[in-house]
Amino acid sequence: MKINWFKYAAPMNFYSLSGKLIPLFWVAAIALTLIGLYLGFFTTPNELGNGMKEYYKIIYVHVATVWMAMWLYGMMVFWALIGLIFNTRLSYMMASATAITGTLMTFAGLVTGAIWGKTSWGTWWDWDPRMTTYLILFFVYIGYISLQASIDDTRRSDKASAFLSVVGLAIVPVIYYSINCPDPDQCASLHQESSFKGVESNILKGMLITTLGFWMYSFAVIMMRTRNVILKREQKTSWVSKLKEVS
Amino acid sequence: MADFLHMGGYGAYVWSSMGIVFFLLLLEPLLLVMQRKSIIKDIKRIKRMEQRTKSHNK
Repeated sequence: MKINWFKYAAPMNFYSLSGKLIPLFWVAAIALTLIGLYLGFFTTPNELGNGMKEYYKIIYVHVATVWMAMWLYGMMVFWALIGLIFNTRLSYMMASATAITGTLMTFAGLVTGAIWGKTSWGTWWDWDPRMTTYLILFFVYIGYISLQASIDDTRRSDKASAFLSVVGLAIVPVIYYSINCPDPDQCASLHQESSFKGVESNILKGMLITTLGFWMYSFAVIMMRTRNVILKREQKTSWVSKLKEVS
Repeated sequence: MADFLHMGGYGAYVWSSMGIVFFLLLLEPLLLVMQRKSIIKDIKRIKRMEQRTKSHNK
């Protein structure tokens, strides 16, 4: 079956398709998160070999939110680039809808990281490379949202913020290398490396399934927000005025 | 159950992390639903106004 993807680049078609998909993403998000947390909390040891006590269970939400923060940034840049190349309105709407969920995930990652830091390193915050670069990601998100909000003309604000997001992409590999440092002598870090090696299999499963749940959540809310943006921006079009919900 | 909540003395840290994350993940869709309702209300209001002006001009 051949799918005409460009058909869904039209806000009208996307609006009706996403309306059908959102409930499915919600069901998947709730189910996967519950399964992930169940595995993570009930089928894992209370203490790890490396001396980590039960506080390590923060990992399920910390890793999921931090990963989502970075992936959503990549996704936002993807939509921004599609918008810049093909000049499709919907891509810009998707990019701006992704930004807010990304900011929220970054914030949640910062807070859970600070709580975990307090238990395992004895400090809420340290200006180590990982945390500092991650904080910059948070500011880049805020910059994107502020820039978009500060320009009244929609087309101009879409384009300007899309360029900013592409420039800001430079921070993502920096965050990655700040934790997986090529030469550990060169960059001392409190934060442990993000490696799957030696991680107990149920902890890993719990972490991955919860993250998958957070992916589904992100799809659901990003679609919900995009639908709101579509309604707002297209409210004067005839297809919107014919919608069941506004009649 | 009490042991589970206690988390070996780290309950406050673990449950506050979970609490903050899931509070945010509930707040976001809730705000979106409210935003949708207010946009729909606005569209309906504008539609009514337009219909009134149309019938007035006839």
